[in-house]
Amino acid sequence: MEAAHTHDHAHGHDDHAHHPTGLMRWVTTTNHKDIGTLYLLFSLTMFFIGGLLAFGIRAELFQPGLQYWEPEFFNQLTTMHGLIMVFGAIMPAFVGFANWQIPMMIGAPDMAFARMNNWSFWLLPPAAILLVSSFFVPGGAPAAGWTIYAPLSTQMGPGMDLGIFALHIMGASSIMGSINIVTTILNMRAPGMTLMKMPLFVWTWLITAYLLIAVMPVLAGAITMVLTDRHFGTNFFNAAGGGDPVMFQHIFWFFGHPEVYIMILPAFGIVSQVIPAFARKPLFGYASMVYATSSIAILSFIVWAHHMFTTGMPAAGQLFFMFATMLIAVPTGVKVFNWIATMWKGSMTFETPMLFACGFLFVFSMGGFTGLVCAITPIDIQIQDTYYVVAHFHYVLVAGSLFAIFSGTYFWLPKWTGHMYSETLGKAHFWLSIVFFNITFFPMHFLGLAGMPRRIPDYAMQFTDFNMIASIGALGFGLAQLLFVAAIVKCARGGEKAPANPWEGADTLEWTLPSPAPYHSFVTPPVIK
Amino acid sequence: MSEPGKVKATPLQVAKAVFWSFFGVRKRAQYEKDAVTLTLQQVVVAGIIGGIIFVLSLVMLVRYITR
Repeated sequence: MEAAHTHDHAHGHDDHAHHPTGLMRWVTTTNHKDIGTLYLLFSLTMFFIGGLLAFGIRAELFQPGLQYWEPEFFNQLTTMHGLIMVFGAIMPAFVGFANWQIPMMIGAPDMAFARMNNWSFWLLPPAAILLVSSFFVPGGAPAAGWTIYAPLSTQMGPGMDLGIFALHIMGASSIMGSINIVTTILNMRAPGMTLMKMPLFVWTWLITAYLLIAVMPVLAGAITMVLTDRHFGTNFFNAAGGGDPVMFQHIFWFFGHPEVYIMILPAFGIVSQVIPAFARKPLFGYASMVYATSSIAILSFIVWAHHMFTTGMPAAGQLFFMFATMLIAVPTGVKVFNWIATMWKGSMTFETPMLFACGFLFVFSMGGFTGLVCAITPIDIQIQDTYYVVAHFHYVLVAGSLFAIFSGTYFWLPKWTGHMYSETLGKAHFWLSIVFFNITFFPMHFLGLAGMPRRIPDYAMQFTDFNMIASIGALGFGLAQLLFVAAIVKCARGGEKAPANPWEGADTLEWTLPSPAPYHSFVTPPVIK
Repeated sequence: MSEPGKVKATPLQVAKAVFWSFFGVRKRAQYEKDAVTLTLQQVVVAGIIGGIIFVLSLVMLVRYITR
């Protein structure tokens, strides 16, 4: 892909003209790069808050018996860890990437709805404050698990109301963000950039945005029904009043399963940019990648009840959801194959972004396989609600989504800050992360297979050793993330000057801009040949 | 999204594109043809029909096994 543009330097002098400075610059900004930065910083903050809660969980589970927390508070820790990581850390991080990268990658000057973009972001801090402050209300934070299953969620204290409002606000933010992303991608591409010439990160986000628009209202519906059950005398989920608590699970997972793909598809996009850049080869099977992404998105809507095999359903239902779920392995396998084929006979180098992308491939595939294990109904009935499931989804969410976020951050930091990050810090961050990640979560497979239930503060003696190993790993993994912050801060403050394109094999439009990317880029669209 | 005067894909072409999108693989020459001939409406309609056929075939398989 080649681009011709000559306008950006000419506009360099008025970069910050007519803009408020200081705090007001960030409050009033409509610039996609500023908003992207805000999203990423917000997500980093929430990542550490969620991580702190994980420390609390692993400290309690270091030994059997109750050491630090009351069981009620332990349930709050697991619930809030999940909610904060899903809605506060992973999702906003990807929206941050979308804001920074999509306009630059398609040669657009900004997002389509710049003011709505500002609003989408600034809804998030109040939502986060609501969510976190629920710890301090009578009864404490939501403790029904991140899935907020009824009837637990209909019976809790006011913390649940704060949680519901927070989810509503974050949902509204996500929907607006998605509308913005779809509109931007469909209408603001540079001349000559057909859909099938778009970078894969843009493709995956286009599909993700459609998924978000489709399912966030479903979540809003589910939690609104919980809210009216709690306060306005309805009985949607109350069996005594003619309702059905299992219906909540159906509605929740109709949102929840596409949500899983919302958290992984942009990760696929990032990895699909990073691997070709460091293998110095074009992505193998670009068209297949696009088709596979849409296939995964389509299938994600018909597999939701695989989360509910133990709630009781006819054998025909179990088989349907089992087959549908296992079929997702086909397009996912296509993707993994294509990434490996991209590396095949490439001139590979292993800078930090590539390390994280390779780590992603290795560990995400393991999570994918344990997902297949969980999809087999008779096995799932044995392992559901055990640590096996905890191990499975941390392999796909931490090693999948989070590692891709790390990879993308190191990949684009030179473009964002104008400085090269410290390769030493980045590599240390990667190796410590991947080692401690596996120390933390691999033993959980054994714990789950041996029957240790999830969401409990105490456990039987025979689970002690593996829990100790997992807790030590978690401490190491958490501390390793301080290196990530150190790498970002060091890079933002200075360091070796980054050229426009520090990566030999990267060929998307953002690398044609100087580093750091000018405040306003592509005011005149580049022409794609 | 369609431009005036361009060749529209036949229903069979659309069905093929949707089938391969479900599988997640597509030949380069074929997708390049898709990219110029397929319209958004065709893809959406064929996608919905394809989804229904896919679900129905799964249901039939399940019925066959559990009968």
